[in-house]
Amino acid sequence: MIHDREILTILGMLNNEHLDVRTVTLGVNLFDCVSDDIHRLCANIEKKICGLAENLVPTCNRIGEKYGIQVVNKRISVSPIATIAAPFGPEGMVAVARTLDRIAQTVNVDFVGGFSALVEKGMARGDEALIAALPQALAETHRVCASVNVASTREGINMDAVLRMSRAIKEAAALTADKDGLACAKLCVFANIPPDIPFMAGAYLGIGEADAVINVGVSGPGVVKKAIDRALREQPSMGLGDIAERIKRTAAKVTRVGELIGREVARDLGIPFGVVDLSLAPTPTVGDSVGEIFQSLGLVSIGAPGSTAALAMLNDAVKKGGAFASSHVGGLSGAFIPVSEDLNIAEAARKGYLSIEKLEAMTAVCSVGLDMVAIPGDTSVETLAGIIADEMAIGMINAKTTACRLIPVPGKKAGDMAHFGGLLGFATIIDIPNASGKDPFVTRGGRIPAPIHSLKN
Amino acid sequence: MEKVIVTVLANDRPGILASVSEAIFREGGNLDQVSQTLLETQFAGLFIASLPEGLGVEHLQQKLRSVLSPQGMDILVKPMPEPDTAGPPPSEPFVITCFGPDRRGLVAEITAILARHRVNVTNLRAMFEGGNDPSRNLMVYEADVPLATDTSALSQDLRKRAGEFNLVINIQHRNIFESITRI
Repeated sequence: MIHDREILTILGMLNNEHLDVRTVTLGVNLFDCVSDDIHRLCANIEKKICGLAENLVPTCNRIGEKYGIQVVNKRISVSPIATIAAPFGPEGMVAVARTLDRIAQTVNVDFVGGFSALVEKGMARGDEALIAALPQALAETHRVCASVNVASTREGINMDAVLRMSRAIKEAAALTADKDGLACAKLCVFANIPPDIPFMAGAYLGIGEADAVINVGVSGPGVVKKAIDRALREQPSMGLGDIAERIKRTAAKVTRVGELIGREVARDLGIPFGVVDLSLAPTPTVGDSVGEIFQSLGLVSIGAPGSTAALAMLNDAVKKGGAFASSHVGGLSGAFIPVSEDLNIAEAARKGYLSIEKLEAMTAVCSVGLDMVAIPGDTSVETLAGIIADEMAIGMINAKTTACRLIPVPGKKAGDMAHFGGLLGFATIIDIPNASGKDPFVTRGGRIPAPIHSLKN
Repeated sequence: MEKVIVTVLANDRPGILASVSEAIFREGGNLDQVSQTLLETQFAGLFIASLPEGLGVEHLQQKLRSVLSPQGMDILVKPMPEPDTAGPPPSEPFVITCFGPDRRGLVAEITAILARHRVNVTNLRAMFEGGNDPSRNLMVYEADVPLATDTSALSQDLRKRAGEFNLVINIQHRNIFESITRI
């Protein structure tokens, strides 16, 4: 018999605290699709993905209904297209992006990730073609997400790639100027990209992964916030160690939901189960916010002094709870702080609590990076490259994932609003102080060597 | 060896279980399963016992009543039927919860739908404190839903009826509760 209290607690999490499965992401290896003919390549990709993903959405919906848990997004990640379509130039890459977009519509998934390249040590022909194709590919498609890994702890930072990505971001923004540079919201620049992220825009299927795999992304910032609120109501003098314990336990419960749903979806589709990515991923909805957790912890706003410490505690507690509750935790697993996707964080940016520097500091202790940050449209390529290089350095030195999803909003300046729509939300454009615009540091090129602690063998 | 089921109803107080089990023991019975519950002030107990050869159901009931009725207990003894050899149909365990304003006939309405879909309720806790506060009026059904049952149609019927009563209804596979709360 299940106790009423247990039932009521879980119903409260589901109905009032936005507990859901944020994404079930089907990873598809495309290496057996390669061809020297672009049309055949695209046909092979379409046949393989549609065959595997045909029942993804109905299966997720049916299992979500069975457990009373909404699977909010169904997505697909694929092998890095820069490798799969390596023989082709930028036009071929754009053709593959269009194919992926069409597939996403056919099988009714929200996004397909994996228009990606791994260039932390150097760029092959396919990588160069993909990066050159990024602006057009992202501007012309709706559901394709791209990521480029330009740095790693083992290889250092490829500064040539950083500069190229800065140009690609600027061009992508310009091509979607009428939508406040929306194409950039589908593009992440990474250090230490994990091969099994189910969340977008960074999802791709790593080289060492199975032919097909189900990865699950569970969220639940609202559940964590309510757990903290309840704990402090019961015991107003509770210390941070005990609060961290509450967060950990809550994270474990949330992870179990993902594990249950993911394994059943995988079983029904006949595809191996991969990982649960337990990340506190907000949406632009009141009560589904990471920023609100900071206020529950006793800060006036995210961004106020103490925020980095609070985020470090939150991120660590989430990881510990997730690791305990799942046999395979992967992806990013931590707290996201995407500015435009979180009402509370967007508001903190508007009120000036959050600066680009504070955001950068916080990314040293959370699971991602400068995420969905709208910056002035006239930010130079060099300044953009400097911001990305700084963020990559944090990832490289700390042996963690960091990423940049920056949107230089064409024609808008600091303090203006940028609107991206839907889950991507809206945000006040953040000032980039001390930007000379022409710093030669980032144009010197080459590779920043890997840190000494990369020499582990 | 004959099996019987003894039903006991009484105002709750200490010593009911002791009195009933001792009385069955004195008649040579051996308890196989016992379950009890309390609703407000009322004790209800079910005792399945194996009887020695020659001790009839009527005789046991008479003996138990003679000892326990003066203590304020209502006793009914019935023979246990042979189990159905076919067994229950293969099914999956679900938990159905309803919150909402109190009104007459809620349990009857919900259980009628469950019965129509061949759903077997294995446990029901219902609490109606009256008024319109949903949290004060709660039904929790644990139920076995046969694999042959069209769960979409069941869900649709329950939601439709719940909507007419302004009830919030949740229909969820039991595993979601177990996987979250039991590690």
